[in-house]
Amino acid sequence: MGIDRRKAGLFGAAAAIRLLLFTSFPGLPDLMTARVEISTPVTSFKRLQEGLFLYNHNVSPYDGGVYHQAPLLLPLFSLLPSSATYPAFTYLLYILVDLLSANALMKIADSGEAGSSKHYASPRKDKKWSSLAIAAAFLLNPFTIATCIGRPTSVFTTCAILHAISKAVVGSSFTSAFAISFAAYLSMYPILLFPPLVLLCYDRRPPSKQSESLTAFVLGNMVAVGGSIYSLLHMSSLITGSWEFLPSTYGVQLLLPDLTPNVGLWWYFFIEMFDSFRSFFLGVFWLHLSSYVGGLTIRVRRQPLFVLTIILGIFAIFKPYPSISDTSLFLAMLSLYKHIFPLMRYTFLVSSTVLYATLLGPAFYYLWIYAGSGNANFFYAITLVWSLGLSLLVSDSLYAVLRDEWEVERPEMKGKEIRQI
Amino acid sequence: MATLICVLLRHNSRILKLPPYLSFLCIVIGVAWLLLLPLDNYSRRTYISENALLPGQVHTYFAGSDQNVFRGYKQEVDALEGKANLEVNDRLEEFFKAAGLKVARQHYEYKSAGETYSGENVYAILHAPRGDATEAIVLVGAWKNIEGELNRSGVALVLTLARYFKRWSLWSKDIIFLVTADSKAGPQAWVDAYHDTHQSPAIESLPLKSGALQGAVVIDYPFNHRFESLHIVYDGINGQLPNLDLLNTVVSIASGQMGIGVSLQQMWHHSDTYKDRLQTMLRGMLNQGLGHASGPHSSFIPYHVDAITLQPFGEGWQDEMAMGRVIESAFRSLNNLLEHLHQSFFFYLLMHAGRFVSIGTYLPSAMLVATNFTIMAIFLWVKSGSPQFSDTKVAATIEAEKASPLTVIRDGDANALVPEAALAVRERELFLSLAVVAASQFLGFIPLYIFNHTSKALLPVVFIAFSIANYLLPYLASDLLVRFFKPTTQQYQLIKTFSLLLLGMFLSSLATLNFSLAFLVGLLATPLTYIQPFPGRPLTTTLLSLLINLLAPPTVLLAGAYYWNLNVGNILQEAAFGWDVWGMNTQVVVWCVWWPAWLAGGILLYGKP
Repeated sequence: MGIDRRKAGLFGAAAAIRLLLFTSFPGLPDLMTARVEISTPVTSFKRLQEGLFLYNHNVSPYDGGVYHQAPLLLPLFSLLPSSATYPAFTYLLYILVDLLSANALMKIADSGEAGSSKHYASPRKDKKWSSLAIAAAFLLNPFTIATCIGRPTSVFTTCAILHAISKAVVGSSFTSAFAISFAAYLSMYPILLFPPLVLLCYDRRPPSKQSESLTAFVLGNMVAVGGSIYSLLHMSSLITGSWEFLPSTYGVQLLLPDLTPNVGLWWYFFIEMFDSFRSFFLGVFWLHLSSYVGGLTIRVRRQPLFVLTIILGIFAIFKPYPSISDTSLFLAMLSLYKHIFPLMRYTFLVSSTVLYATLLGPAFYYLWIYAGSGNANFFYAITLVWSLGLSLLVSDSLYAVLRDEWEVERPEMKGKEIRQI
Repeated sequence: MATLICVLLRHNSRILKLPPYLSFLCIVIGVAWLLLLPLDNYSRRTYISENALLPGQVHTYFAGSDQNVFRGYKQEVDALEGKANLEVNDRLEEFFKAAGLKVARQHYEYKSAGETYSGENVYAILHAPRGDATEAIVLVGAWKNIEGELNRSGVALVLTLARYFKRWSLWSKDIIFLVTADSKAGPQAWVDAYHDTHQSPAIESLPLKSGALQGAVVIDYPFNHRFESLHIVYDGINGQLPNLDLLNTVVSIASGQMGIGVSLQQMWHHSDTYKDRLQTMLRGMLNQGLGHASGPHSSFIPYHVDAITLQPFGEGWQDEMAMGRVIESAFRSLNNLLEHLHQSFFFYLLMHAGRFVSIGTYLPSAMLVATNFTIMAIFLWVKSGSPQFSDTKVAATIEAEKASPLTVIRDGDANALVPEAALAVRERELFLSLAVVAASQFLGFIPLYIFNHTSKALLPVVFIAFSIANYLLPYLASDLLVRFFKPTTQQYQLIKTFSLLLLGMFLSSLATLNFSLAFLVGLLATPLTYIQPFPGRPLTTTLLSLLINLLAPPTVLLAGAYYWNLNVGNILQEAAFGWDVWGMNTQVVVWCVWWPAWLAGGILLYGKP
């Protein structure tokens, strides 16, 4: 019971902080909603309001060319009282989603998958944070709080991804498949998480299914994911009355027509690019993003949960419309790997870089957009620094995990320097 | 190699001794850099970047019979002295209408520190005969200037110029003539409403609008007699500055075309010596650092409308018509603009009307001061992670090495024997230190809230109470920390690491927004780099505690008030007004950047590891 009380305390505190920020600073939610670091064209709460307005007036929400989010969000939000008149319901919904995410994260932490998976047990696995500390690191992370206040729909994706993983670590593969389909339905890119996720499910499958072969298991899951995505899409087409939502939602993710600045690397490239090269580079950028999945899944086969973590980190850097909500998800997953932190080499550098970028980003955006004394290069330079910090973190944690595995294979090399020969 | 370097860095006692000196060097160079700026080799002569401006290239025709018109208006303005705002505006509206302009009014009401600031602005729009109402320039004459005096010649001049400008057919931008009720709240209400960012219904929306504002010139001419030279005020809110081209245009018109001297930053007599240049620059930095509005023009600058205030001063032979001609010529230049002023500098320090330094030259000084904190933070981070060596036993290293097992590090052909313990990284206990730093950051919101939400009468009392609490707080907090958590040396080091890291980060970000504030705060916080617990040395502790209390935010405020002979209550009231009306952010920097670092320093000083 003691643990439960502490958990309730943490969740209560996290909810209280968010409620306090929502209610005591009435201008804050709108301010955060307008921040490009939080709201992207495919997740923005403001655009959701626009879509909702059109939807409630029986106009196709995609007509204005503003709304690029999944159609099923519309009936959900039109069930709630309007956020303009009764914002409290929206606030509560977003707080609830954050708490559900934290709950799923705690389940992942409790499973101990991070330290010892089926094929691999880290010698350092005892050095870990309790699930409560991990949930606290997620819930009290300023990035998570800022995301919650800004109310982008990416929090639903985050929640779905975390649930998919938390179901996978207990081996319930169909629930997990449904959760990842839902995440993919909302924002498309999570479908790339499918290979490591299905391996995680396979490693953790219940005793009754032990006899199943990997191929059959993967096929079964593919069918499950395909089926759930199809039914979600079909439902959407019933709701909106046509299939025209496909180009407005997934088409926007794929083709990047909206070049609103964000913390990612795509917008500036595609602003600068000549139109004739555009489709080529779109292909290259997407290929680059998806190419990590296969390699990492094979190389770190023994720790599928880590593959998921790393891929989430790569998403936070390289996806078309990233925001700090992706970073907060990556950091939350990374906190499961406390045991590899001592092996990392650049923790201080990375955290300073990320913190500096966090402060300088809004400052330079202000100089560019409001003060008019800077220009787009100011903000872009900072997003480069931000991405540099995150990619250092990703590569450093990958290094640490590989080193951890290597020291199990070659115990005599413990604590020694490695060199490429 | 990396490990070797790492080991070297971490455990070479000589290199480990270096960073404190390095960060001291940063401070010294930073300050020296600033002092070098007024020299001829480091500052530049100003020049006009935007060729379209063509300052002083037109003949000005504001003379002759217009002087009689001016005298007439001045008499009317004198007659209106002391009358109620509405009555004055009724009359002004008549004058503008008689000149054939469209007139509108705007009522506003602000509340701050328990006081109400209300009034009514009146403005008239001259539609450009050659334009399409997409762009406008503003001529402002506040009814009361920033000192609260009646702006008698200024308003009369605005009225005369409105009548005069109406006669010309060469305007390609609309001209807005604005008479605000006061110099602080009125312009802000008007600009906010012009850009639809006002808080209605306390501030009314504007019934009449024109195009995007390209520039604004304010006349502050409260006396009757002739003047000697022109004082240009250019500081905006939060240290933002107008484009240097606007200032250069007016300087070149006034001194080149009209032969009127120009001075800046209340340097009434500037002999262009090093001392005068430095003084002008430092006054400019102080104004920029405080971030308050220095005239009605300040409210325009945050909206990216370049604006300046022109104040005639002294006893001389220049009459109000000369002033009018300066404005006519400046408006002709602004009228020439093809696009928004953007060519010249937005970040500069002026040391004379004709000399400046740009951001590339002066920024390193503030960055060096901010870097000193970061260097120290990195140094302490490394130090807190390295195994504890007794520094005094350098001579006895061989003995120490015997005691601990050795390990061989190979790097190519080179081998090195290093004690195994040296390779290990000490586990850092982060939680307590993070919590202390986070708590002190959070505590900063309390004074921020209190000072912005107390009524005027209570402000001095609250300030005294806060100051007393402020001097006791570090001691009490430190005592509590020692009693309940017994922090180790490492934890103290980590508190300092995080606090300095944050301070360095905030200051270097701030330096890009408001250089002067970052520099001033950085300079006042430099002792914090060297504060640490001195157990068993009560004398050092007492001396240092005296020093940091002297450099505490409330003491600095008191000292400033004493030096400039101001009332602390008035300063705080003005600050609250700035926060509520102008959107001034200096308080945030003081209470949420400087004060938490100071508090962490105090906690460190009284610590007992």
